[in-house]
Amino acid sequence: MKKSTIIIIAVVAIVAIWGVTSYNGLVKMDESVNTAWSNVENQYQRRADLIPNLVNTVKGYAAHEKETLEAVMSARSKATQMTIDADNLTPEKLKEYQKAQGEIGSALGRLLAITENYPNLKANENFKELQAQLEGTENRISVERRNFNEVARNYNTSIRTFPKTIIAGMCGFEKRPYFEAEEGANKAPEVKF
Amino acid sequence: MRKLLFILSFFCLLGNVNSQAKEYTIQEIPMVHLQDRTRYVSNPDGILSQSAVTTMDQILYQLEQKTGIQTLVVAVTGIEGGDCFDFAYRLGKEMGVGQKERDNGLVILLSTDERCIQFATGYGLEGVLPDAICKRIQNRYMIEPFSKGDWNTGMVEGIRAVNDYLDGSMENIGGDEEEDMLPLYIFGVFLLGGLGLTGFAVWSQNRCPKCKKHKIQRISSQTLSRANGFITEETTYLCQNCGHTFTRKTKSSDPNYRGPRGGSGPIFMGGGFGGRSGGGFSGGSFGGGSFGGGGAGSRF
Repeated sequence: MKKSTIIIIAVVAIVAIWGVTSYNGLVKMDESVNTAWSNVENQYQRRADLIPNLVNTVKGYAAHEKETLEAVMSARSKATQMTIDADNLTPEKLKEYQKAQGEIGSALGRLLAITENYPNLKANENFKELQAQLEGTENRISVERRNFNEVARNYNTSIRTFPKTIIAGMCGFEKRPYFEAEEGANKAPEVKF
Repeated sequence: MRKLLFILSFFCLLGNVNSQAKEYTIQEIPMVHLQDRTRYVSNPDGILSQSAVTTMDQILYQLEQKTGIQTLVVAVTGIEGGDCFDFAYRLGKEMGVGQKERDNGLVILLSTDERCIQFATGYGLEGVLPDAICKRIQNRYMIEPFSKGDWNTGMVEGIRAVNDYLDGSMENIGGDEEEDMLPLYIFGVFLLGGLGLTGFAVWSQNRCPKCKKHKIQRISSQTLSRANGFITEETTYLCQNCGHTFTRKTKSSDPNYRGPRGGSGPIFMGGGFGGRSGGGFSGGSFGGGSFGGGGAGSRF
């Protein structure tokens, strides 16, 4: 065999090995974005699961605040209908999702605001603990959202920087959207004690 | 000149730390547990009394022995950013409180300026110590004394309540021991590797540089210098095959040296708090547990 053929074979082998390892690396990162996304969805789901209980507790003390209670329930049912598969997470869909969840957030904020007028409710141990759970869930949501953004940013950086961008382009790895900074409507309800 | 600059910058740094002593960053919180494995309460501003700290340390040491749950208690006058949840969460996450396999870390933060008490539970504790229970403990035992400025009672009672709740919640399965074993494995590998290398070195050193035969004999050796724990020796060899004589200089560590070994080690172990950075035998470590935003906080 000629020296030049050996060199060519070696170069091809190195390129192939590089291609395979970077492809695998991208797949791993892609998966971690998916995991981060499902963590975010889990936490939002957790919040949605808390709502019926919370609404029932409030109802016991403030049944005539019907409007506010219903607003929370309807925002919840709207938001829980929407789940996004991590694989087709587009910026538009994420925005929509964020908006729906943001509506729950602001409805909850209003609900908690009216509870201020009911000292008996505020003294209720069950209500206090529900509030603690809700607050904890909001914290978890923000942690998971931050984590998702971080993981997605890592992934996006690697698929867009040379030379991995070649592999990403060939194999159809797509850029993932980020959660945007909270706007007024999407502010987590301020839970004060 | 370089030394001077170093000293100057050191003083600048000190000055900085001093001027910000009221508002701690995550890195500025002293990790007493890393120096002494029986201590868990970081009390840099002396908010808590010595006896309260000792009581809590004892409770938390027992708790870790029984359940493996690692706790970090921090009591400071102020925190940077002023967000108690975020600070407690990041403390837990960045210091890696809790065993790695079980994520059973717990951070309890008291900041008197922010007037907040915050619990942060690791992923693995979220089920055992739910947010509602954290809140209940704070409401029942901590808020009232805190609002009167009685930090000791609030903290000790709160820690007692946490301990009562967590005691028996999980077994100490010794995830920590595994952590402790890991350096041993590494040590073993290094030992074997080192032995192999030494063997090879001896074997190749054993060769006459002229005829390449392993027939050399040591005739004499003399010590050239002894400094900083190293001995420099000059050894003369004779090859029994070809009669070639030659000398070699070797530098080896002095077994009789009693000087400052290792010097003053770095105070901060630079990020790698993952439990493997052994510092002294009595120093503890955090296992590298992770946090997902569990826990609850209250203001008073």
